[in-house]
Amino acid sequence: MEQSTTRKVALVANCLLNQNAKVCEGARYRGMVNPVVEALRSRGYLMVQLPCPELAFAGARRWWAVYEQYDTPAYRAHCRRLAQAIAPLIEGYLRRGDEVILIGLDGSPSSGVRFTSSQPHWGGRPNRPEDDWEIVPRRGVWIEELEAELAQRGLPPVPATGWALDMGRFDEAGSRRDLEGFLDSRDAGVP
Amino acid sequence: MNGDARGWRMALVPDLLINPPPALRTALPDVLGVLEASGYGVLQLPRSGEHRLLLAVIADQIAEYSHHGYAVLAVGVSGEPGDGLHWRRLAPLLKHRGVAPPPRHIVRPEADTALETDRLTARLASHDLPVEEQRRWRG
Repeated sequence: MEQSTTRKVALVANCLLNQNAKVCEGARYRGMVNPVVEALRSRGYLMVQLPCPELAFAGARRWWAVYEQYDTPAYRAHCRRLAQAIAPLIEGYLRRGDEVILIGLDGSPSSGVRFTSSQPHWGGRPNRPEDDWEIVPRRGVWIEELEAELAQRGLPPVPATGWALDMGRFDEAGSRRDLEGFLDSRDAGVP
Repeated sequence: MNGDARGWRMALVPDLLINPPPALRTALPDVLGVLEASGYGVLQLPRSGEHRLLLAVIADQIAEYSHHGYAVLAVGVSGEPGDGLHWRRLAPLLKHRGVAPPPRHIVRPEADTALETDRLTARLASHDLPVEEQRRWRG
């Protein structure tokens, strides 16, 4: 009986299933990030795609931005609305006893889990030289708001990691090893 | 766009086709695999139920893509209410945002799986915006 079985559920950042959501020049794949999809499917995870907060807020043709530029009351309110939209689904899985994890996008100002991009001086005309932002160990704004919404519902923290797509230099093989290590450590710890 | 790999095409896909239950797995094509091989991104729709706010959020995203040169195709599944696409609620949300509902392709679990896979693959290959629209937005 499927109903009595604990399922493995991965909440995935929107652009891991749809690279069209990325900021201009940020897409590394045509559609899905197939190493992530393969790693999850081969381990029996169900996938739940999170909404993309940046696309719906600043649009498909938005400028690049760092954490500080999205750290505004209006953007946080927008993220809270998205969190309230997806939280009932997540709550359903958690209340049922399913094993839920989160795969974000490390380096992203919104979807970063272990790291986000930071540069307090960014602003005005978008003519910054390349790579002058910093990577700092912190959640992105969207993940902060999503976790706050889940906590407000009395739900336990969801184990999380990030696919390191937005860290400046992208290392697919390293990211794959990192993700698979996270998933396999979960499997080892789950009876 | 310099070094950007996006494919400019995406599919609106019911949860049932992304996470098929074991009983349906052999009756359905591997829709996610076909979409991946075809270079499509995915916008996931939730299982049937009351998802008023989530569907509004998804409609916002479809509208943004539709207004900026992206091709969106809805891939439904027969035998599910509304083909799994929440059409009765989604269509008016899209209309309110000035967007026509995307064209639909319906997967048939009762049909031969290999033929359904071929039919989906062909539909994905042929679906895109008119060439002038592609040039306008995609450079």
